[in-house]
Amino acid sequence: MNYNLLLGLLLFVPCAGAAICIAIRAPGRILAAMCTTVMVWALITLKLCLEVFSRGPIQAADRVFYVDALSAYHLCVMMLVFVASSVYAIGYFKEEIRSERITRRGLHQYAGLWCGALAAMTLSLISNNLGIMWVGIEATTLLTAFLICIPRKAASIEAMWKYLMICSIGVAFAFLGTLLIAAASGGLHLSRSETLLWTQLRVSASALNPMLLKMGFLCLLVGYGTKAGLAPLHNWLPDAHSQAPAPVSAIFSGFMLNAALYCILRYVPIVEQATGRVGWSLQLLSLFGIISIIVSAAFIIFQHDVKRLLAYHSVEHIGIITLAFGLGGLGTFAALFHTLNHSICKTLSFFAAGRLGQTYDTHDMTKMSGTLASAPVWGTALFGSLLALIGVAPFALFMSEFQVLRAAIDSRAIVWMILFLAGSGIVFVGALRHAIAMAWGEPVSVAVPESTGMIEKFLAFAPIAVLLVLGVWIPGPLLAAMKQAASVLRGF
Amino acid sequence: MQQWLELATVLLFLSNLAMLGLSELGACVRTVAFQGILLGFITLIVRQEGLSVRLLILSVMSIGLKGFVFPFLLLRSIREAGVRREVEPFVGYVTSVVGGLLMLAVSMWISARIPATATAMSSFQIPVALSTIFTGLFLVVSRRKALNQVIGYLVFESGIYMFGITAVGEIPFLIELGVLLDVFVAVFVMGIAMNHINREFDHIDADQLSSLKG
Repeated sequence: MNYNLLLGLLLFVPCAGAAICIAIRAPGRILAAMCTTVMVWALITLKLCLEVFSRGPIQAADRVFYVDALSAYHLCVMMLVFVASSVYAIGYFKEEIRSERITRRGLHQYAGLWCGALAAMTLSLISNNLGIMWVGIEATTLLTAFLICIPRKAASIEAMWKYLMICSIGVAFAFLGTLLIAAASGGLHLSRSETLLWTQLRVSASALNPMLLKMGFLCLLVGYGTKAGLAPLHNWLPDAHSQAPAPVSAIFSGFMLNAALYCILRYVPIVEQATGRVGWSLQLLSLFGIISIIVSAAFIIFQHDVKRLLAYHSVEHIGIITLAFGLGGLGTFAALFHTLNHSICKTLSFFAAGRLGQTYDTHDMTKMSGTLASAPVWGTALFGSLLALIGVAPFALFMSEFQVLRAAIDSRAIVWMILFLAGSGIVFVGALRHAIAMAWGEPVSVAVPESTGMIEKFLAFAPIAVLLVLGVWIPGPLLAAMKQAASVLRGF
Repeated sequence: MQQWLELATVLLFLSNLAMLGLSELGACVRTVAFQGILLGFITLIVRQEGLSVRLLILSVMSIGLKGFVFPFLLLRSIREAGVRREVEPFVGYVTSVVGGLLMLAVSMWISARIPATATAMSSFQIPVALSTIFTGLFLVVSRRKALNQVIGYLVFESGIYMFGITAVGEIPFLIELGVLLDVFVAVFVMGIAMNHINREFDHIDADQLSSLKG
């Protein structure tokens, strides 16, 4: 099996797709071309991930590319989010075109940047070289900035500027961190092409300079943490998520945050090994996780805009995932499981919020009441996904959060556990109030009556079904995949 | 070589101070251009082992992009937006310059704690690199005009670049090029973004972009 070809295609397909999307003139075909690109990419990814899970890590192109269980698992989550969002985008933009909120130019811009962002995120997931991983994340920032301001209006431009400035500075910090890590390997006398290879650093972690490594990790945590939306570096996130078109919010929340967190995770085994396995980096992760949970809980209570509410939920859940990674042990597994659950659930809730926003012509929750009666399909989807997000049993998110609690008890992190419970409790009460008011409030007149085809009904209900099933039963192959991915992080 | 390197480093620091004290946007852009050319020069002389094709390409790219392309883009933005100076920054100019000196002191304190930065020829380079990073951050948060924030970002990047070429010996060439390209695209994207802001709001005051809250 020639992995060079497979990995090359994985990057080439989205790039070619972006070019085709920009070249096509007929508006109807632009989205079709985009969907086809994503589907082809997804098939290649699936093939690659199956190889990795059955035969172990893959290296290609003179060790520039390296895919192990951890990256393959993230690729799978990314595949789910991108495929679902691309299919959803067709229905969403059909309505946007009909109501003349988007021009053909906007559509070109959207499809081209969408495929470009896909390529950039793939690059950062499959590269072994930590510098190229950084280039991928930086490219993601620049490509997705203009996805926020489609259609172009004052508020979305404001959100785009904040996103661009805050994340550019953040990601530049991550580069400083990468440089410090490279400096830490100065004593090893590695050749130029080996300096930043993850596999190389992982093997010779004990010989790295711990002081420089710690400084580097701090910069990386702040840098990629900004992109991952960890509080208190999350300021760009609610604005960007609330102003972007719904499919874009879905990939932002469903995967882009996780991609940035993934970059931090890559460094954890190296730092732990070099600093004597005392859990130094893990404790930092837990700290950032807890801060994110508490800060978002405080903001969730006072939200009026449904997409901002979901954005703060993202901060909360990325906090839970980070906390769980920080707890180690069972926590690593719980974090990976929660990543999958959250991505499925948040993608669905942004889908629903986007379509309901079109139905009601507003995202203000006080004006979107009676959703179950006025828009049964997406109203149910939003209510269901909000219940799942706040951790109602038997949804899968409840199960993974429960495992996080167990991990906290196992590692005797009682303070973390109490703070986590308090935060989730506040979120539960605060968000449930919003959810119930929207679902059963006095029905108001809608701007555009809801009309959904088979595909949209499937998109609305399949994720809920999946979350319910995952809540009671994890299929064998998924369990094995998560265990393999966890062992990449635990094996220090 | 040593004295030229030290001269360039001192000039880099002085240009930081100038940036903190200047109110006219055009002058700030020209100072950034000067920094870019300085960095290209430092790239050439920082290595003891002498010149190589790799250093030459990096130096030419750095001088070309930071010294000429970026200033061209930014000066055009200034003309289109019709602004000449930062009127009332959040932090006054004199305070900013004093702050710049404090940042150098802090940088010296930090770099004394960075272990064995063996590749740095002059003991002054790491502190100046760090203080350039701090100056960039300070400019981003303390100025109102979107253009000044872009300039701050560029200064920040220059600081990281300086840190990279002095403290880290062996970085793959591909990554150095990738980074330069990223910065180029970033400035390009920010330029377009500023155009959008200018057209939509009729000004480029980033502090008035405050309708999204909470």
